[in-house]
Order: sequence, then C-alpha cells, then structure tokens
Amino acid sequence: MRKYITRRLLMLIPVILGVTFIVFSIMYMTPGDPAQMILGESAPESAVKALREKMGLNDPFIVQYGRFVKNAIMGDFGRSYATKKEVFAEIFARFPATLQLASVGVLVAVLIGVPVGIISATKQYSLFDSVAMLLALLGVSMPNFWQGLMYILLFSVTLGWLPSGGYGSFKHFILPALTLGTSTAAVIARMTRSSMLEVIRQDYIRTARAKGVEEKKVILKHALKNALIPIITVVGLQFGHLLGGAVLTETVYSWPGIGRLLVDAIKQKDTPMVQATVVFIAVTFSIVNLAVDILYAYVDPRIKSQYK
Amino acid sequence: MLKSRKLLAVLALMLSFVFVMTGCGKGSNQATEGGKDSIIVAQGADAKSLDPHATNDQPSSRVMKQIYNTLINTNEDMQIVPGLAESWEQKDEKTWVFNLRKGVKFHNGEELKASDVKFTLERMLASDKVNHIVEAIAKVEAPEDYKVVITLKEPFAPILAHLSHTAASILNEKAVKEAGDNYGQKPVGTGPFKFVAWQSGDKIELEAFNEYFEGAPKIKKITFRNVAEGSARTMGLETGEIDIAYDVEPVDKERVKNNDKLTLVEEPSLSVAYIGFNTNKEPFNKKEVRQAINYAINRDDIIAAVLNGAAEKAGAPIGPKVFGHNPNIKPYEYNVQKAKELLKQAGLEKGFKTTIWTNDNPVRVQIAQIVQAQLKEIGIDVKIETLEWGSYLDRTGRGEHDMFILGWVTVTGDADYGLYALYHSSQKGGAGNRSFYENKKVDELLDKAKATNDSKEREKLYHEIQEIVVEDAPVANLYYQTQNVGMQKAIKGFRLHPAGHHRLYNVSY
Repeated sequence: MRKYITRRLLMLIPVILGVTFIVFSIMYMTPGDPAQMILGESAPESAVKALREKMGLNDPFIVQYGRFVKNAIMGDFGRSYATKKEVFAEIFARFPATLQLASVGVLVAVLIGVPVGIISATKQYSLFDSVAMLLALLGVSMPNFWQGLMYILLFSVTLGWLPSGGYGSFKHFILPALTLGTSTAAVIARMTRSSMLEVIRQDYIRTARAKGVEEKKVILKHALKNALIPIITVVGLQFGHLLGGAVLTETVYSWPGIGRLLVDAIKQKDTPMVQATVVFIAVTFSIVNLAVDILYAYVDPRIKSQYK
Repeated sequence: MLKSRKLLAVLALMLSFVFVMTGCGKGSNQATEGGKDSIIVAQGADAKSLDPHATNDQPSSRVMKQIYNTLINTNEDMQIVPGLAESWEQKDEKTWVFNLRKGVKFHNGEELKASDVKFTLERMLASDKVNHIVEAIAKVEAPEDYKVVITLKEPFAPILAHLSHTAASILNEKAVKEAGDNYGQKPVGTGPFKFVAWQSGDKIELEAFNEYFEGAPKIKKITFRNVAEGSARTMGLETGEIDIAYDVEPVDKERVKNNDKLTLVEEPSLSVAYIGFNTNKEPFNKKEVRQAINYAINRDDIIAAVLNGAAEKAGAPIGPKVFGHNPNIKPYEYNVQKAKELLKQAGLEKGFKTTIWTNDNPVRVQIAQIVQAQLKEIGIDVKIETLEWGSYLDRTGRGEHDMFILGWVTVTGDADYGLYALYHSSQKGGAGNRSFYENKKVDELLDKAKATNDSKEREKLYHEIQEIVVEDAPVANLYYQTQNVGMQKAIKGFRLHPAGHHRLYNVSY
C-alpha cells in the first residue's frame, strides 16, 4: 500500500510538467500583452516597450519556458505581474476560503444526495422517486449563478435573514454552500439511485431478506455498502472539482476563493499567477483522486489486494 | 456496524473542522446597525498593490487615496490646492520650490521631511509603471528639511496637476526600505486612514489616523470590499450590508434611485470616447468627409443603446471636468442632410467603402455596429474589423487603419494630458495621435500652452486649440462617460472626484 501511494505521488511530477507546459503555451499564444495590461490604455508606447523588455517578454517561447522551469525547480514560481505578491503566498491566502466552501458544499450535497438516492431506489417509480428525480434534474440543469442570485433575492433582500455576500462568519457560508450543495446533491442522488438499484437486485440481497433480516439493515448495511464505490467516485470528483474553485458561485457571493483568483489572473494575462494556480489545482485534484482510491480499499477489501 | 461508526466519526470530524475554520472569521458586516463610525465601501475589484509606484489601476488608487497624500491636491472641482506642500513658487521656467507643512506625521510615527519627498519622486522616476507621469522632472533636491526643489527638463506648466496624481503620493523612506519587496502590502502614508489588514480577494481594512494633520476623520474604520458582480453590489446596498457602492451598473441605477433609503450620485468622468480618422488616407484627408461623418453619427442613439444613458454627448475633445475644457463647443448635431451636402462638396456624393477597426471590447464593438448602420444612410459602406488589443494598438500606431474607436482618460485633469498626445504632430502614431493629424497652428498653441504658467492665459490657449481641432475634425468625439456611486441616504459629506478616486475623509453618518 505504501509503495502504491509513493508511486502515485511520484507520478505527479510528469503531470505537473505537462500542465505547466500546456498552460505556458496557452498563455503565450493567447492574444494580449501583459505589459500593456499592467500599464493601462493611456500609457505611452515607450513605457510599454521598456516594460516588455524588462519582463523578458521579447525572448523566444522556449527561453521563457526554460527560465520558468528552472526557477520553479528552485521553488520560485515568481511574483504576480499584477500585484507583485509571491504567487504561492497569494494562493495559500485564498485556499482556506475555497477549502471551506468546497467542504461544506460537499457535506450538504452528501447529506441531501445520498438519502434521497437511497429512498428513490428502494421506492422506485413511486411519487417520491419521480419528484426527487425531477428536482435532481432541475438541480443539475440550473446555472449556479442564477440560483445564487435567486437565493440572495429571497434570503437577503426580501427576508433579510442572511448576508448577500462576503466572507467571514458562519452566516456567510449558508447561501454559497446551499448553492453548491444543491447542484452537487443532484448528481450524487442520481448516482446513488442507479448504483443502489443495481445492487438491490443481486442475489445476496434476496438471501438476506429470505433470512429475515430487517429491511433497514438490508438496505443500509448489505446494499449501501456495496453500492458505495461509484458514489465515492462521484463525491471525490465533485470535491476535487470544487477545490479548483467554483468561479460562478464565488463571483456571485464575492467569495475570495481560488476560482476567482485564477479567472482574474487569466483576464490580466498574469502568467505566473495562472501557472501557479493551475499547478496547485492539478496537485490538489490528484491528491483527492488518490484519497478516493485509498478509500476504495477500506470500503471494499477486495480492491486492497490489488494495490501493490 | 463498526464501519458506519467510523463513517459517522469522519463526518463529525469534517463538520467540526469546517465550523472551527469558519468560526475564525468575525462577522463584521453590520453596516447599518449600531455604531455608525465605520463604513463599508464596495468596488468591482480588489486592489492590486498599495504601493503607488507598483500599479496605476483604479481600485488600488481608490484605497491609496485614503492612505496617502500628495504634495499638491486636485480637489473635487478640479482646482489645484495645497497638499503636503503648503505653498510653492516658480523660481524660473524650469525650477519649482515647494515648502512642506511642518509636523506632518507618517502612520509609523516618522515626521515628513523633504528627504522623503526626494526619495519618493526618485523612486517614482525609476518605476516602469508610473514614471511617465513625472517624466518632465530632471532632478529633485532637498536643500532643507521642509523645502523641496524640483528641476524640470523643459518648461512644463501642468507639473502641478501631475504631482497631484495618486501615483505621486508621498512615501516614507524608512517604511519602504524596511518592507522591501512587500511594501505593496504594508503601506505607510500620511493620509487620514492607516492600513490595518488585507484579506486578499476579499477586503482591505483601514482605520482612522488620529494624528492626521487636518484632524482625525469622523469615520473610525473603512472596509473596502471586493464585490465583482454589479448586481451583488446593488443588493448589498439594499440589504444595508454595503454603505457606499462604486460603479452601480446602468441597469440597476433606477432601483437605487427608487429606493427610499438610498441615493445615487452621478457626474461626468475625465474620459472621452471617440472615433478617429486616418487623415493620411483617402478620403479622410478631406475635412468635409470627416465633418460629414461627424454630422451623420447620432450620439444620442449610441448613449441610449450601448451605455443605458450613462454618458454625456461630447463636443470638445476634453470633458467638462478637465481644466481648459471649452464649454462653448457644442457636439456636432445629428443632421443627415448636412452630412450628404458635405460629402457632395468632397466629390463623394455616391459615398464610399471603408473599414472601422475596434478591439474586442463589447462597448466598442456595439458602437461600431451602430455607426455602421448610421453611416449607411449617407452612403458610406463600413466594414467592421475586430482586432486583439495588442495588435490593435500596434497597427493603428503604424497607421494601417481607416477609422478606429478609442477612448482617452485625462487622468491629470489638465488639458495638456488630453490634447497634446492626441493632436500634436510630434505624437503621431503609437504616442497617441493615431489620426496622424497635423496642424502647425495647433502644434504651436499646444507648445505655448504647455510652457505658459498663467492659468488664465493657458485656458484661453486651450479653448482656441479645441475650436480648431473640432472644426478640423480628425476625430469624431462621441461621449464623456459618467461615473456614479450608490450609497445609503444617511451618509453625509461624500463627493465624487472626477478622476474616480473619491476622498472619504469628510464622510460621516
């Protein structure tokens, strides 16, 4: 198991190299001049030229990329073009907000999605099932920013119960977490339902029932446990996804997370910031994936023997 | 059973982790409740840096304006008034002497000395980001503790306006050296509010500086919040979480106006949007053609359709808030008949084909589309080409275009900044004069105005320049965009600054 984890962690190195190369190429090829962005529209051309020269932006692509990799290996990802702050200091300042929102969002999603999925599966084609699946479909289809604005209109502007945005107290969490949670819950509910439906039809479930095991126990212990693998996969993927920042939700609720940091950096052609943020997101995503794979082994001992 | 207990334990752990982490923050957004000595200001982006030499963007300037002072101030009526320099005199054409106020304290307790001013301006001249604002300066000396002597490369009357730019805020030498590369996150100024904390992407907190040389401000605490979404800023105003919201979206303006608890203030900014003609090319080398297009453009339509009314029609090339603006120049009227006559005089009564260039800015693209339709009425067939910003500037600088759409912000509030770069023949191309306009008389007047110190005389010169330029019509001025601020009605003492960075010193509840 330990060997397996080490190998997976080592595999991060080519992943990171690949990611940086792709991001660097895209940033290099997309239109826009970072020096012009920094100086603004009314700056004289001579000032822009001088800044380009100083930033090394006139060098060929491969020289610029080489310089980046060399510095990155030394642990120096540079400073943001726009803010002059060290990029990782900035990312670590923003990450707690993203981690908290993603955690609460996924928690809300699991608490809603899994029970709804289980009930839907056990009462297939019932009224509950139809309504729940309809809501799930709505949840998946409704854009987050629209949902967010509606929640603000209802809970903040009309009822005045919750703040309309910002970051700080527990109250600030409720609306963004609800927005993320409901859409994610929909995905989880649908996955739980289909996975449970598959398991419920297995012979060992019938055997358990024949033995006279209580229905609750049959569902929660025998069925759910075996249906968990695909559910964990979806939850893991969604969590990893949210750790990369939920840009729309963050924007609507003025949440200072990673997603907005990345989008702002892209808009300003802030290559060092984009580079570092994408690398960071790629690494967190890989780690969450690894955690999910390890979790499989605990849920299903048969899988554990395959990890070598 | 054991497994599910484990699962429960994990869940409980996650929950407590989340609560502990969220518990760390404090709820501080009760803007309208209780003690009204703190205000929350929302703007559309976070500051980039609080080092005036590191950036020149609006969100940062709006915060820096509260932390720092400049030698000279430009007040809300765009008049030059004393700042850290209580008086100044011009020794000769190129030498200015500034007498500093005594007893001015920086937030770190240091006293303001001439050496700080010298250090600041020299550091500014070495910055690639803002040096162009003070490039007229040849050298700065500090012969006495409270006396600064600035020598210019050549006579340059607008120097005072340039020194009032937020980028020329005076820094404390010791604080800058101590903070090193991180100065942008640890600003130290002489302003009415001192820096407390910066939660990146979220908010910047400032508190009153009780030793401020004009007296402690009434407000004890200001929080600048980063609320990117325009509708969220308006909703924040409605719920009372936000006291002052900068840049209310045009669609939300009515909502704010109609709300009993809120007010909206709106004024022209220092910017002008225009369509430029390449006067080197046929048929734009003919004045009649350029005037014809000026008459054929319906500016009201553009303002209504593209900007939801958030602009004023432009006649003169610099707006009403800029020093030297000529109020007698009216915008070209919308007159298709006259436009057709002018085209006829130019021998182009059947019209012609041409292109208009724009970058991918959605406002400019929409203007291009409207102008395309309007010019069709006088027989001009316009093709729109959208270019990426870098190559747009580059190629219009080289004069490859026919017509183009651009804007200009006279950041210093002085006519020189708005007219010299755009209409002096020495500035042709990338330096600003992208219509390649050349008029000996205008050159002469611009040079003269730049070197004249008598402001009445300068004003007269600029009035004359604008009359000639508008008659020659190397560009079609479209509009001066307005700026607005929405706020709680209970707030007193707020005034819009035309440059967009509003001073909050006099604000109170």
